[in-house]
Amino acid sequence: MKLAYFPGCVAQESGKELDMATRWVAKALGIELVEFPNFSCCGSGFVDEANEVLNIAINARNLAIAERAGLDILTICSTCQGMLSLANLRLEDPAVRTRVDAALKPLGMSYSGRVKVKHLLRVLSEDIGLDAVKAKVRHRLEGLKVGAFYGCHLLRPADELAWENGEEPHAFEDLLAALGATPVYYRGRVMCCGFPIQFVKSETASRIAGRQILDAKAHGADAMATPCPLCHISLDAYQNVAAKAVERPLDMPVFHLPQVVGLAFGASPEELGLPRHIVPVGPALAKVGTH
Amino acid sequence: MSEPTVPVSFEVYRFDPATDTQPRYQRYTLDLSPHTPVLTALLRIRAELDPSLSLRYSCRSAICGSCAMQINSKSRLACETHVGPEMERHGRIVVEPMRNQPVLRDLVVDQAPFWREYNGIEPHLKLDPAHPMPEGRPTSMSPEEVERFKETPRCIACAACYSACPAVEADSSFPGPMALAKLYRFVVDPRDQAHQDRLVRIQPNGLWLCLRCHLCTEACPKDVRPSERIRDLKEMAIQVQGATERGSRHAVGFKDNLVDRGVLNEMKLVRQTYGMVGMLSQVGQGLKIMRKKREIMHKPRAIQNVEEVQKIYEALDTKEASR
Repeated sequence: MKLAYFPGCVAQESGKELDMATRWVAKALGIELVEFPNFSCCGSGFVDEANEVLNIAINARNLAIAERAGLDILTICSTCQGMLSLANLRLEDPAVRTRVDAALKPLGMSYSGRVKVKHLLRVLSEDIGLDAVKAKVRHRLEGLKVGAFYGCHLLRPADELAWENGEEPHAFEDLLAALGATPVYYRGRVMCCGFPIQFVKSETASRIAGRQILDAKAHGADAMATPCPLCHISLDAYQNVAAKAVERPLDMPVFHLPQVVGLAFGASPEELGLPRHIVPVGPALAKVGTH
Repeated sequence: MSEPTVPVSFEVYRFDPATDTQPRYQRYTLDLSPHTPVLTALLRIRAELDPSLSLRYSCRSAICGSCAMQINSKSRLACETHVGPEMERHGRIVVEPMRNQPVLRDLVVDQAPFWREYNGIEPHLKLDPAHPMPEGRPTSMSPEEVERFKETPRCIACAACYSACPAVEADSSFPGPMALAKLYRFVVDPRDQAHQDRLVRIQPNGLWLCLRCHLCTEACPKDVRPSERIRDLKEMAIQVQGATERGSRHAVGFKDNLVDRGVLNEMKLVRQTYGMVGMLSQVGQGLKIMRKKREIMHKPRAIQNVEEVQKIYEALDTKEASR
């Protein structure tokens, strides 16, 4: 299978380990990632706050690029997924459509609205299928309790994104179970990581992140895993700040989604960029005893 | 024809401040048809099993907004949540009071914080004293003007959104989704004369703490979509006042940041949001992250055909275009 790869800004810079792990897993599963060096940033929700139509238009350009190549888009970030899907949906409004078409036309571009935007989690669950995933597992993550952390924009607004049941999702937990891990169900798994206001009021953002990690911990998680690199920043890179905000030690290893898949498929920690994490993942790796 | 019944097990939060130091969960089992509303079940529990159970309700028809509570961790109206789907998903029904408001007893919360925020946005029309509402005659609005309210007039003030909001939970200065959705309703009202003032006054505390997590939109039983209206307020606030708050500086800074390269230049954005002096507060954490992730100091390479992005900005990011 062949998809237009939309890595997003973070996975190309500070979250490079996510890109490494995605490429490793895609190769193992025979997913061809077609690269487009002309894709722009999705606006990350911030451009949407400042200028909604502009945000739709820059994403319509990204969608048009994929459409010209006859490909659907693969995202590896909940926020990219949300922004591109919402652009698809908002373009159904004729007033928005007219303004966006007018902005694309001078570039010799147009977008019909037919490109599907799929997060890696969805591709693994629906297109590849969990049976095929299971068949690739060389080292079951037996005994590792993992708390999935979805990231808001993969789930909500559920009626607009129309994939998983946003309120009670289970695709990520089903995937973890297919890899041999034990999924942990906790309230915080569908909550917010605090990232959008990290730069507005760090203390509040960190308290929110800290509470979700504590919740996962209280339910017995050895590690968390997220399909969103922005959540990963909150949960991993800023975990020390979150621990201060909730006044409790956290010490929670946080994986990117394809890293968990890669581990079960037999990739080395280095191939998956695990040494790049701020919170060491060693204790979680020791649990599964591979590395 | 009566529907077959199934055993439904409830775990209900119980707390009486007169006698309890800690809340506890009490189990009840009833045989119910899957279409039974949770509220009906709770009233049966009270009538048949335990008269001491306290809860708030009135209309039983999802109109009054009194019976919002947490059902299996989600803020919902008990009168329109059926037991069947809850049992299918969770195998039991955990009933708890709403969050973010102090518990008075069992499922009844003190809604004072919620109403304080509502009153804080001054939820009444502010008319131009020179042109008061014509006496004895209704004022007219065009269908286009009415459409600007979007779904906000449907709000029944049940507080499900307030209960679901993680920003309210973590920061008492955030007014919460309902108050902001109501503010939107007055900001777009063509009869109201205080649009600009309302937008200026809400910003320092409230507006920019919204996480756009959309949990309020998920919780709302009337599809008011508070998170989307808060987004609208943010864009309108920037139009009225420019980027004066840290939140609006970040949003506008992010937008402007993409023009040069088409992708985010992280360091430049931090400088735009915090200013040179404020940036010092970020140095410690930055260094910690940089030890493992040197890229945060890099200037990213521009995307190919970045001039296409720039042309889109020229077309849609002008003052006139954004109105």
